[in-house]
Amino acid sequence: MRIGVFVCHCGTNIDGTVDSHQVAEEAKKFPHVVYATDYLYTCSEPGQQEIQQAVGEHDLDGVVVAACSPRMHENTFRRTIERAGLNRYMFEMANIREHCSWIGEDREANTHKAIELVRMAVAKVANHVHLHPSYFEVNKRVLVIGAGVAGMQAALDCADGGLDVVLVEKKSSIGGRMAQLDKTFPTVDCSICILGPKMVDVGQHEKIKLCTYSEIEDISGYVGNYTVNIRRKATYVDWGKCTGCGLCMEKCPSKKAYDYHNEGIADTTAINISFPQAIPKKATIDPEYCRQFTKGKCGVCAKVCPLGAIDYEMEDEIVAEEVGAIIVATGYGLLNMEELGEYGAGRYPDVITGIQYERFLNASGPTQGHVVRPSDGEEPKRVVFISCAGSRDASLDRPYCSNFCCMYIAKQAILTRDHIPDSEVYVFYMDTRSPSKGYEEFIRRAQEEYGVQYVRGRVSRIYPKGKRMVVRGADTLLGTQVEVETDLVVLATAATCAPEAEELAEKLRISYDEYGFYMESHPKLRPVETNTSGVFLAGACQGPKDIPAAVGQGSAAASKVLSLFSKDQLESDPQIAQVMELRCVGCLKCADTCPFQAIEEKELPDGRVVGHVIETVCQGCGLCTSICPSGAIQLQQCTDNQLIAEVEALCQAWRERSSG
Amino acid sequence: MAILDKLKDGVQRELEGLEFVIGWEQGYDPLHASPLFIRTPGDIDRLIWNPLCVHNLASYLPSLKGRRVGILLKGCDSRSVIQLLQEGLIKREEIVIFGIPCRGVVDLSKIKSRIDTSQMRAVSLMDDAVVIEIPQGREEIPLDDVLATKCLSCQYPTPLIYDHLAGEVLPPQRPTEVLYKEVEVIEELDVQDRLAHWERELDRCIRCYACRNACPLCVCQDYCAAESRNPRWLSQRAGVSEKVMWHIMHALHLAGRCTDCGECERACPMDIPIQRIRRKINKEIKELFGYEAGVNPEDTPPLYTFKVEEPTIQEREW
Repeated sequence: MRIGVFVCHCGTNIDGTVDSHQVAEEAKKFPHVVYATDYLYTCSEPGQQEIQQAVGEHDLDGVVVAACSPRMHENTFRRTIERAGLNRYMFEMANIREHCSWIGEDREANTHKAIELVRMAVAKVANHVHLHPSYFEVNKRVLVIGAGVAGMQAALDCADGGLDVVLVEKKSSIGGRMAQLDKTFPTVDCSICILGPKMVDVGQHEKIKLCTYSEIEDISGYVGNYTVNIRRKATYVDWGKCTGCGLCMEKCPSKKAYDYHNEGIADTTAINISFPQAIPKKATIDPEYCRQFTKGKCGVCAKVCPLGAIDYEMEDEIVAEEVGAIIVATGYGLLNMEELGEYGAGRYPDVITGIQYERFLNASGPTQGHVVRPSDGEEPKRVVFISCAGSRDASLDRPYCSNFCCMYIAKQAILTRDHIPDSEVYVFYMDTRSPSKGYEEFIRRAQEEYGVQYVRGRVSRIYPKGKRMVVRGADTLLGTQVEVETDLVVLATAATCAPEAEELAEKLRISYDEYGFYMESHPKLRPVETNTSGVFLAGACQGPKDIPAAVGQGSAAASKVLSLFSKDQLESDPQIAQVMELRCVGCLKCADTCPFQAIEEKELPDGRVVGHVIETVCQGCGLCTSICPSGAIQLQQCTDNQLIAEVEALCQAWRERSSG
Repeated sequence: MAILDKLKDGVQRELEGLEFVIGWEQGYDPLHASPLFIRTPGDIDRLIWNPLCVHNLASYLPSLKGRRVGILLKGCDSRSVIQLLQEGLIKREEIVIFGIPCRGVVDLSKIKSRIDTSQMRAVSLMDDAVVIEIPQGREEIPLDDVLATKCLSCQYPTPLIYDHLAGEVLPPQRPTEVLYKEVEVIEELDVQDRLAHWERELDRCIRCYACRNACPLCVCQDYCAAESRNPRWLSQRAGVSEKVMWHIMHALHLAGRCTDCGECERACPMDIPIQRIRRKINKEIKELFGYEAGVNPEDTPPLYTFKVEEPTIQEREW
């Protein structure tokens, strides 16, 4: 074998703490190495040209590049050697940046480690074989999980691009958080007025199949060919018959059901349509409150329904859908305000959350847009907003900023002054964050035109005094303690991950951070991709974000799916597991262990049973190879022999060092 | 009716539908039993049952998959069968099990360490003693003194799975706490001493692979990774590192599967305490997964499945 080694300086990223030249010089001494050199930026065009040239001049049949993580440039260099006429898999990257130069500052030790990493890579390439990809068909349907504004945008863009879309929503109506909002910043236009047309578009689009009141049961398959089982939860109403007339709601005797759309500030009926603009406008029974379920008798809705749509016997149904890609847009949750004990949240009725206040402001809310105090229904004359309630708080293990609170507080403050002109509004804040277009001007308007009083400082305690609440906190600009007596306190509670976000991530096999927000593939350059091929992110499931950003991501994710589906066939990675049938004893432990169900039983002509890897399903994780007792299943380009060769190379280095 | 008579009676009745029934017969000397393959009713008389019937006959079963056979099993042996069933390596409907409630079998090396058996004339087995006649006279050894180590902590004297049981169900009579006693002594050692201990013990290994061949769960046998060129895990060098490597390989391939039958150690011609390695791994598996191999045919061996969340390992809050 004739191997070439190319050591990259990466400017000073590597060469700053690793003697790249010496690494190349040492590499020349390794078995099979016929050429080695170092270069300032191997990934640059001249750097790649040098590799191509060397392949020809030195008749190389394997290449090692010692540079950054293969996640950055493995594909770049594979294409480089392919252009030079080699099989693209006759290549190995030694990561001497993330794994070496960036870790320590001891140049001698780093250089030493880099030499050993290169030595291992050379030993591995010497055992490489030519691999060739195969091709598989793509199912050009897309699943969108979550029908908030991000998911709806993604669904619409995909559908307009000609794709069939399955849109799954947990709630009975599409719309998400934005459907709960009264106005949107910084334009103060009516939220449902701008969202409504989009909801109608989604509901009426012939390419979009709506599955509301549904959840993801499980997901199997791989990019281009996913099978998704969707649990259509029992609504106890035949939606094929229900016209959304609302007669059942009028007559339902159980009027104390929790109203999710109104965030619990009012009650609703056990059978209900969550809001007037709901799509689909269909009724759902909440069995937790329905007398037919809790007491075993009632049946009023079944009697009044003119279409006989009520079905108390209905059960959840599992529906399978075949799709080629998945967009996750499951949004965010909100911190349970009872965690904020010092604010008395949950104990005092006049301490409420921002989203609850939004429902008070909203004309379609339970108070028809009249702001009242929950305790006695009177109009508040003074309202105090507290920002960062649970956000940016290391003591609550939530150090991140919830992104949109500063802006909606300003909006709610302005609306309060609009609704109650003789009111006084205070905002306690840490910093105001208003970096987007028109945002800073909006906050200035709240302060200057609407006279909202911004107090910079944290609130230490809230306690009742007669019918009012006292907010005690610091004014860090004046350096004093302040106490504000008020009628109503609104907390900008922290945005959290959506409920059960982690469970869904496990089903999708995508990564999530310690707060449950989904991880993008690269924080800057691959913001809507995940590390699972064919799964994309949109909206606040990736981290708290406002409406424009969520909509932008929805479109971005859709464009990723459209470009993925622009090909009829996808290339499968040949670096997968393969069974050596002669060695296989047919115990099929590999099949039991495979997380992707990629291994099936196969009977040979002589009747012997062996394992068989389904090429397109195998993800190359290697679990089977570690479980196979006879070593009959091997991961291509990562075989036992290659790993042993790497270990041997390392041991050889140690032996040479200890013998001086 | 004595156990042996019940066994013979049962075999007599079932033999017709079976290719053969595997049991034990008198071996080449009075202290040894040998596996017996009963093919005809005439073979039944050769069947024996006594504390010398040490072999775990379940070791034959994986290679007999697809054939209908009968087998005699002690409690400990039955766990191997359960494990093989769990792994789909044998089929329940293909085997007829004659279970034997067992009070323990002898460890011949314990007898040999007490007396020189090369000149023995006869052996008689009493309820609680082994009597050996040697030229110097008659030696009576209490059975408890020469029982196999596994019998001293036996929790399953009655087979956990059977079609016919020869005798009454026998409740466990041995203390559980001695099971990991030897393991705990080694665990006390620091890492260097532990390595030194095992290098000393394993350096005796001649890589004859008797431990593997006797193991009922080593199903690869001729395809063993230890003897393969591709992948090439071990070299032919007779150094201690290769020996240690072999035993690590063997132990790991049995993790979560070993039923503590002790055949590996019994088969070892170099008296390497292999079962201690197995027990250490069994202990770890029990602590980690709450799992004991070969107890319930419906169980899944913890390392032979894929779970996103292990129920016994709390990685997250939810």
